[in-house]
Amino acid sequence: MILTVNNEKAFVATGGQVFDNSKPTVVFVHGSGLDHRFWTLQTRWFAFHGYSVFAPDLPGHSLSAGVPLDSIEAMGKWLVAALDSAGVDSIHLIGHSSGFLIALEAASRLDSRLKTLTAVASAESIPVNEDLIVIAESSASAGADLMLKWGFGSKTQLGVSAVPGMQPIAISRQIMSDNPLAIDLRACRDYAASNAMLNKLNCPTNVILASEDKMTPCKFGLELATRLGANVSQIDDSGHFLPIESPKKTLDAIKSFIGKHTD
Amino acid sequence: MGKSSFLGEETIALHSGYQPDPSYGSRAVPIYQTTSYVFESVDEGASLFNIEKGGHIYSRITNPTVAVLEQRIAALEGGTGAVCTASGMSALFVAFITLCSAGDHIVSAAQIYGSTATLLRYTLKRFDIGCTFVAINDPDALKEAIQENTKLVFCESIGNPGLEVSDLPAISNIAHERGLPVVVDATFATPSLCRPFEHGADIIVHSITKWMGGHGVAIGGVIVDGGAFDWGKYGKHPTLTEPYEPFHGISFWEEYGPSALVMRIRSESMRDLGPSMSPHTAFLLLQGIETLSLRMQQHVENAKQLTRWLLEQGLVTWVNHPDLPDNPTHRVAERLFPKGAGSILCFGVKGGRDGGGAFMDALVLSSNLANVGDSRTLVLHPASTTHSRLSDEEMKATGTSPDLIRVSVGIENIADIIKDFKGGLKAVERLLK
Repeated sequence: MILTVNNEKAFVATGGQVFDNSKPTVVFVHGSGLDHRFWTLQTRWFAFHGYSVFAPDLPGHSLSAGVPLDSIEAMGKWLVAALDSAGVDSIHLIGHSSGFLIALEAASRLDSRLKTLTAVASAESIPVNEDLIVIAESSASAGADLMLKWGFGSKTQLGVSAVPGMQPIAISRQIMSDNPLAIDLRACRDYAASNAMLNKLNCPTNVILASEDKMTPCKFGLELATRLGANVSQIDDSGHFLPIESPKKTLDAIKSFIGKHTD
Repeated sequence: MGKSSFLGEETIALHSGYQPDPSYGSRAVPIYQTTSYVFESVDEGASLFNIEKGGHIYSRITNPTVAVLEQRIAALEGGTGAVCTASGMSALFVAFITLCSAGDHIVSAAQIYGSTATLLRYTLKRFDIGCTFVAINDPDALKEAIQENTKLVFCESIGNPGLEVSDLPAISNIAHERGLPVVVDATFATPSLCRPFEHGADIIVHSITKWMGGHGVAIGGVIVDGGAFDWGKYGKHPTLTEPYEPFHGISFWEEYGPSALVMRIRSESMRDLGPSMSPHTAFLLLQGIETLSLRMQQHVENAKQLTRWLLEQGLVTWVNHPDLPDNPTHRVAERLFPKGAGSILCFGVKGGRDGGGAFMDALVLSSNLANVGDSRTLVLHPASTTHSRLSDEEMKATGTSPDLIRVSVGIENIADIIKDFKGGLKAVERLLK
């Protein structure tokens, strides 16, 4: 669906169903340089199993218009504005990588509307190598290559795909090459408010880790989980790009947690 | 430019798409000779049917062995995904009808494989899909041929049998300026010699029966999606951007983006038409692909040496190969095919059609048959076989002539190939006496 948020058109994937804000809504927030398609193999299941799905492309990304936002704080505010414009009331918020930082920023503004928060392959803070940002500034695809080479697990590097016939690395690269990767990475690097935001959280939390994650290694995800007292699951044989590398296991880890916290 | 893997070409050809299975550790890709797959639960089955999850339902649509081949070819070409089909012709048909509906139009290179020309000229016409054939490297002709209802531009990376190399960057620029994708049949090239996505093409089709398999024992085709074409930008391809009723009004572009084409093909053509590849065929083709790089080096080297030898023979009236300076697309070949422009060459002998016949009938090692890309050397007289349904005028437009002998140079010892051809030329000499 297309929403107008802050006077710009925003694309929000709804998992193939008409959006219904009276249902509990699962909100998926993509990470740096990505878009809603990163969540395709999770969103559609929720949309056909009693939930509404809200998976936006952030401003200036893929199908959403507007200027890319240059801070996690601004992205978090934008997400809340987008949810407000759709009249969403009962929210299960999920973020991948820097998408979790955006979700965290939004969480503090959602109050009782927020039912659960899930971090997928993320951490309390995500440092970004300066060289990577410089390369991404000169070429998003060159930056994407570095991230994908580093980020995907060994099985996917060998061309193994959970979806028959597909190449997840090429799909991710194509999405990232057309998006403002450097701006997103800089915003991720500069975000320093997660500690304050974590202190404000009072909803059930869930942390999903990837055993081969080199970008946000498991130990940082575990530190986050410990601090939150979160439900934790670790998915083996997968790198940082969990939702597209191990879509079924990622979905299972999300849905079992959300299922426990849905009336 | 596409990139599906950070491994080298030779490594991709051996490994991509497969890791030893956890049950038995089979190093070779197993043949999953099964029609169907047990669902874990009713809900799991429903989710697979509704493409909420990835997985296998029925081997007409996907199969684990075929999927390895698809992923391997996608990685070799740098695509986002691939669909294997029963033959190269079914791959072309599926690619065309996925992008075109009744009332639509295709612009195609004139110099293409005879059966593809027939598909475009006659078969698709029955479904009200028109085609205009053009000299594909003539920018003005290409621009002029594009109509309001044109949905794609089609060419072969190396035209069969005229051996003109398509200037993919120039063609792609013109097509993209008009919101059209470029579909390339790259059969004669293989990703070992030219990767069309790196030169602006959007969709690649192969007959993998040929060099990709190399052994001449299995028929197969593949469609590879480059993933770079912005289907949503121009709104010219409603099959990808408009709601598709059989899947609750899904928009493949919105839902899948860079893999929209492959998902539509899988969800429509493979399901409704069923031109699927058998797992056994996929297994055989995988055996060939493992050695693609090594074989292509030998194919190209032998073609170069045979070309040089033919040029020195008095009974040979002409020789054509894109690596020769008098081939009209020689400069393009130098740019796009730095390792050599394939292993097909064409030539004529004195005595015209009869001379050609005498040459071919005298061959012992080389086989006279309707195929190319076998590891063995193959010869053919297109005017009496693959292009026989075309009129003289149409034949000329495709780059064929009555005396043309097409050679698919194999990987035998080059001295043995030349010895065989010497025997053929002796037969021509006897005929002329």
